[in-house]
Amino acid sequence: MGEHLRCQDIQVSFGGVRACNNLSLTVPRGKIIGLIGPNGAGKTTLFNVLSRFQSYDAGDVYFEGKLANDRMPHHMVSMGMARTFQNINLFKDQTTLQNIMTGAHGQIGNPISAMCWLPAARRRERQIEDYAIHVADMLNLTPELENEVGNLPYGHQKRVELARALASRPSMLLLDEPVAGCNDSETQELKELVFKVNREMGVTVLLVEHDMSMVMEVCDFIYVINFGANLAMGTPGEVRANKDVIAAYLGEDDD
Amino acid sequence: MSKVPITKAASNNLESSPKYAPVRALKQRYTRQNLIAVAILVALAILIPLLPQVKGWMLSQVSLVIIYIIAAMGVAVLVGFTGLVSVGHGGFLAIGAYTSALLTKYFGVDLIIGLISAMFVSAFLGALLAVVFVRLSGAFMAIGTLGFAFFVGTVVNNVSIFEGRDGIFLDNNVILGIRIEDFGFYYTSVASLLLVTLAVYCLVNSGTGRAFMALRDSENAAKASGVNRLLYRVLAFAISAGITGIAGALNAHVVNYVSAEVYADIWYSVDILIAVVVGGPAILFGPYLGGIFVVMLPFFLERLADFSFILKGVVLIAVLRFAPAGVGELILRPLRIARRRKLRSVAAGLRESEVG
Repeated sequence: MGEHLRCQDIQVSFGGVRACNNLSLTVPRGKIIGLIGPNGAGKTTLFNVLSRFQSYDAGDVYFEGKLANDRMPHHMVSMGMARTFQNINLFKDQTTLQNIMTGAHGQIGNPISAMCWLPAARRRERQIEDYAIHVADMLNLTPELENEVGNLPYGHQKRVELARALASRPSMLLLDEPVAGCNDSETQELKELVFKVNREMGVTVLLVEHDMSMVMEVCDFIYVINFGANLAMGTPGEVRANKDVIAAYLGEDDD
Repeated sequence: MSKVPITKAASNNLESSPKYAPVRALKQRYTRQNLIAVAILVALAILIPLLPQVKGWMLSQVSLVIIYIIAAMGVAVLVGFTGLVSVGHGGFLAIGAYTSALLTKYFGVDLIIGLISAMFVSAFLGALLAVVFVRLSGAFMAIGTLGFAFFVGTVVNNVSIFEGRDGIFLDNNVILGIRIEDFGFYYTSVASLLLVTLAVYCLVNSGTGRAFMALRDSENAAKASGVNRLLYRVLAFAISAGITGIAGALNAHVVNYVSAEVYADIWYSVDILIAVVVGGPAILFGPYLGGIFVVMLPFFLERLADFSFILKGVVLIAVLRFAPAGVGELILRPLRIARRRKLRSVAAGLRESEVG
């Protein structure tokens, strides 16, 4: 199926802190790839680099086979990469529907004809709304469509964020701790959603997550990073058995 | 390309989602109600001047109110819907005024041409200015735009074509070859206001408006939605400046006179901003209240000239303290809450149809 996203030797420093030190990873098309590591390992920083929210000192990012070093976040979205955030970023005073529709920004076409309500633009607008409702339906958000997002419970907000990301019709989804802070049933629900998005919509998923049961269950392949560097990689079974990984998570045995 | 199947699957699934139809119908009903309210207001605006008691000077005064409302609409696009602060929109008012005044003086153009040119020149300069200011945020942008207003003031004061404090006197206004007086001018202002309101309504209810509000509400979420921050900031600035430019042109023609005495003054900028903040920046109807407030307060308190300045300040502080979303929001809140509640409950009812 070929590679979908690749980054090579990424280096990011914040002052004296090396957040990423020669990190490399490859995401094959159509798979669910996990990215794990202890706190402060540089997972979120790498995520921000990949979605171009964060500048980096050295290294290359290739998305859809194209060098993406000089791209801005909105370029990445229009190329088919959508993301969510660890700490939810939504338009809190706007309704669920408005939030999801904003995610489909790439489909509004020319902003001038959109604001002038030209017939073609109105047709697009209607399609955007229909698709937003469709996505909301898929994520069981239909009853909340007219509710302000700020009023929704945490688990719902996580799903609205996912819906906003899906509204851009991405080919790849970057999920930053999608189940952090969720209870068991919410976690279960999101797990199924990730499967659904991957299997039914054919979206490649790159996932940062601390919830090991989730990672082990949904991921096809896992990258482990520690102190900003690649530590290990492999299938869930291989990673679980890897001595370095166990040491990184549980601490080194002294004897 | 895995992007193709998604789109395909999506379009197969799109049978205009009948499930959502009740909510859509309710929204359409609210839109119809709004339209009826607007139609009544428009009818009043057209018919009242025909009463025999109405004098020309009254209509001039109302035209002045309308000019402020239009200017405030321009600022509201920026402050209310895009979350950028401008303290320099008096500069665009001046640009609009001088564009139309010079065209009328040297080329004898029609008032309509004057208004349209003022809009485009102002929007163009607004876009240029935005390219410079677009990376500034919050207070820095406020200071920058203030500097722009001073800059425009200095230019009209000192560049000879603008004729400084002597000012430019204009002939009577001409529309489609017909000379118009107070009455005609009043109707021109009403028509301009109607068109501007319609334009802002369409803007706010489009993907472009959504992008503006996205930038206002969460920069990260906006970026993640694919909004090009710089482009949309520049666009917001241009639209805002264009609308205020129209107000400027009307302001030149309402008295048929422009001079640096008026347009080099920073108080124009402040007044427009006060109108926006008091009326409510993020609602369409807010600038109406703000415009009426800013123009009519000094009019009614003419004998207490300076006192009206103090009162403006007091009201501004009171509004910021007790109704930060503006007086318009305060007035419309009961209606809004009722509508939202109804929409929410109808949408929540969609769950049952899904299960059952």
